[in-house]
Amino acid sequence: MRSRLRPVILRCVTRRYATLAFVALGVSASSAYADSGRMIDDDTFALSSHGPYLVDAGLLAGLPAALPSGITTGIGAGLMRECGCRFGYGVRASWSTETASSITWTVTHWDTRLRAVGEVRYDAGRGMLALRLGAGTTIVHEHRVRNQGMRAGLTGSALEDSTTDALPAGELEAVVGLHITGPWLAMISAGPSLEILDGDFRGGWVAQIGVGWQP
Amino acid sequence: MATLKSIALVAVVGSLGAGCGKLHGLGGAPTPLVSFDVAVTGTPPAGAGDLDVALVWGRQWLIEPLCIVPIDARDDMTAVTAVKLAGCRDPFGFIPARVAANAPLNPDGTATIDLFALPSADLMVGDLTARVAYASLVVYDDKNGDGTLGLAIPFRPADFGGMGSGAGSGSGSGSGDLFHTPDEVLGASFITMVNDPGGAVIDQRIAYREGAFLTTGFYPRAGCGDPPPAFSVLAASGFTIADAGSATMMGTVPQEADLSQCVQRTPESGPVTFGYGLPADLPLVLSRDVKELACTERTTDSTVRYREPPADMPDLTNRTSACVHYPSFGDPSDVIEFVVSGRSDDSCVGLTHYILKGCREGPDCGTPDWDHSLAPPSWWPC
Repeated sequence: MRSRLRPVILRCVTRRYATLAFVALGVSASSAYADSGRMIDDDTFALSSHGPYLVDAGLLAGLPAALPSGITTGIGAGLMRECGCRFGYGVRASWSTETASSITWTVTHWDTRLRAVGEVRYDAGRGMLALRLGAGTTIVHEHRVRNQGMRAGLTGSALEDSTTDALPAGELEAVVGLHITGPWLAMISAGPSLEILDGDFRGGWVAQIGVGWQP
Repeated sequence: MATLKSIALVAVVGSLGAGCGKLHGLGGAPTPLVSFDVAVTGTPPAGAGDLDVALVWGRQWLIEPLCIVPIDARDDMTAVTAVKLAGCRDPFGFIPARVAANAPLNPDGTATIDLFALPSADLMVGDLTARVAYASLVVYDDKNGDGTLGLAIPFRPADFGGMGSGAGSGSGSGSGDLFHTPDEVLGASFITMVNDPGGAVIDQRIAYREGAFLTTGFYPRAGCGDPPPAFSVLAASGFTIADAGSATMMGTVPQEADLSQCVQRTPESGPVTFGYGLPADLPLVLSRDVKELACTERTTDSTVRYREPPADMPDLTNRTSACVHYPSFGDPSDVIEFVVSGRSDDSCVGLTHYILKGCREGPDCGTPDWDHSLAPPSWWPC
């Protein structure tokens, strides 16, 4: 008798707890729906119309403008204005640094790139593809320290020296943007660059990853 | 929008007017860490051709006991003296380790040596908090014209139990011969630490100091001031041989004979001036002449290596030999060794030691590696 009653009691208890759980979930869901301060709603990722100006900033990497090797790293930013549905123009600036060493020198270069840019663009849904051509100057600030100089007692210009030069430069970059939410975009760009150093053309590359803001 | 166009215009115009200073990057002529002006006085020896000056860092090295302990009364005084004269270098002399820089000597006897690198750690004596290196400026005849002073090591051929070719630390003559250098040293700023009664200063050295300075037995100049940090030029009168002996017995370093000759100055304060050859009054201690300044030593710990006598008699042509009681700073030893000098025409002097029973380290090594004491080779002269 007792053995037959036990499964029946267990089924009743299980059913009761399941009912309570459904009720709890329903209350929880309805209370969440009623919260007006939530972070994400149905329009969060909706693609909306945007204005002509696009500001972007991010992390930059590239070949140093005037050092033979290494990767210069830093930050970059730009302001673009769309001109019609295919073209845009604007300005960009970036700063990056790289330190290299030889037997006798430790050299640090600060590369500041100032560019006037124009681009051909194509919008596809959330995406934005562009080919960006920039021209301007790369201001290189060089700081050289004579290795072992401090231990040898060198001071002043014998120990270290600094100089600044501005190099004509430009680059051609492929740009990919993706509208994420509202005015915000994820952006990545990369392409070859060209500087004129001591009268010689010097090829390189530059890449940037960051975010854009297009209200 | 107008502002944006203005900024773009400035960027483009800026690129056209680019150029402020000259970027050097990793290139460009390196700045010397220090430069030393050298003035060699006097007339070079007849026949001297391509005269150069080298900056040579010194080695930490100890003379072998046979060269400095008094001759045992049981030994042949004449023969042992001859061996010591033929095979021992100046126990207080400067021992080269590495040539750091060379410069041609101008016809007026001047030169400027630029140094582009600090002495490496193996050339400095002391720890990271207090270490020092010393160098000598050497004027030499660059006989082989390779532009650098070639250092040789004492010649100990294989049949003399030597290590044969390729086992040394000398820079050689550039022809692969470590035991011979064609370059001929004619003079040096730092030849020996022994005082010249004639007053000539033959201890003018280049010093490089890092951290504090501790007086040690590494080319001591006790009584003189400490070398300044980094590079400097030092001078000292030297000490007498008698003072060196008594100081050694007391476990100290000998005091400089004339403290008024002590100099510690910067390299920029004037040239390092020295002459050719050796002062006439200098009491030479065993070394032949300044040519030994082209000789480095192969061992890094200055210990004497002993040889097992071969079955056949070694070629003693052009060599000096003697039977000598094993030198001891304590009780006299009964062990007799056969000592052979290098050849008289070798670039560097040196001694080869044979013992009938013992090890490479000497006769008192516990279990001997060889023992011919009961049946010496037929040629064994002792």
